[in-house]
Amino acid sequence: MLPLSLLTTSQTHPILVELKNGETFNGHLVNCDNWMNLTLREVIQTSSDGDRFWRLTECYIRGNTIKYLRVPDEIIDMVKEDAAKQRVQAGARSNRGGSGNGNERGGHHGDNRGGRGGGRGGRGDFNKSGGRGGYNNSGGDRGGRGGMRGGRGRGQSQP
Amino acid sequence: MDSFQIFTTSTSLVDSVDKKLLVVLRDGRKLIGILRSFDQFANLVLQDTIERIYVGDAYGDIPRGIFIIRGENVVLLGEIDLDKEDESPLREVPVEEILQVQREEMELRVKREKIKNRMLSDQGFSVDQAEFGDLY
Repeated sequence: MLPLSLLTTSQTHPILVELKNGETFNGHLVNCDNWMNLTLREVIQTSSDGDRFWRLTECYIRGNTIKYLRVPDEIIDMVKEDAAKQRVQAGARSNRGGSGNGNERGGHHGDNRGGRGGGRGGRGDFNKSGGRGGYNNSGGDRGGRGGMRGGRGRGQSQP
Repeated sequence: MDSFQIFTTSTSLVDSVDKKLLVVLRDGRKLIGILRSFDQFANLVLQDTIERIYVGDAYGDIPRGIFIIRGENVVLLGEIDLDKEDESPLREVPVEEILQVQREEMELRVKREKIKNRMLSDQGFSVDQAEFGDLY
């Protein structure tokens, strides 16, 4: 699960944002985008020295001013559920697509997650790293991670 | 030689996933947590994070939880050797104590900086008013 997906999952939840200049914003996440731009509601802004406070009903934060975000501990569990749901959906899709093509690259893995991991292994070969090739043969969990990152690769090609 | 090429992009972080990492930020903060995820910008997700404050041979931990760190603020990160961690010669002190010591050290540093700046300007040097700290 990518950092920005975790952020998307945090929508409606209270989060803490610290900017590069040290100011912090506590509020409920309303929306966020691929650039990490955020909108928050019911915000408490704290100065960088920590001794002045402001209440804002609403605020927008440009992504590139952010140092880090803190999200509630429960979010990670919610992300796992979300990811499981998405895998089921993606599995249904790729079964349909794969039916006409017996020699797709990930075919030898026997499950959809491993199959997408195989795609990344190919890229490793391109970079002439012997170690990357071995990635394909690793356990189910790591195969699954490869799958997620493969999905992101497609995202990058969008404008 | 080509086959020994190692990744210096964020891809090299795959091997650190689910490991305990120390992350140093540009503002000097040290975060210790378990790396759960990252992306092409080296944005990081750390779980069960603590912020560790070092002053001299003492350190104190503040529990912080989950962090999404924007990659550009990271100076360095590295896996923590769990065996060697226990052999550390440093001593752990309570949070309140380390915060107090840190404040005192900061005040001392500011005082020294002021004296230095005054002496420099007395000698006719121009004094940089830039905040000290972020020289990255």
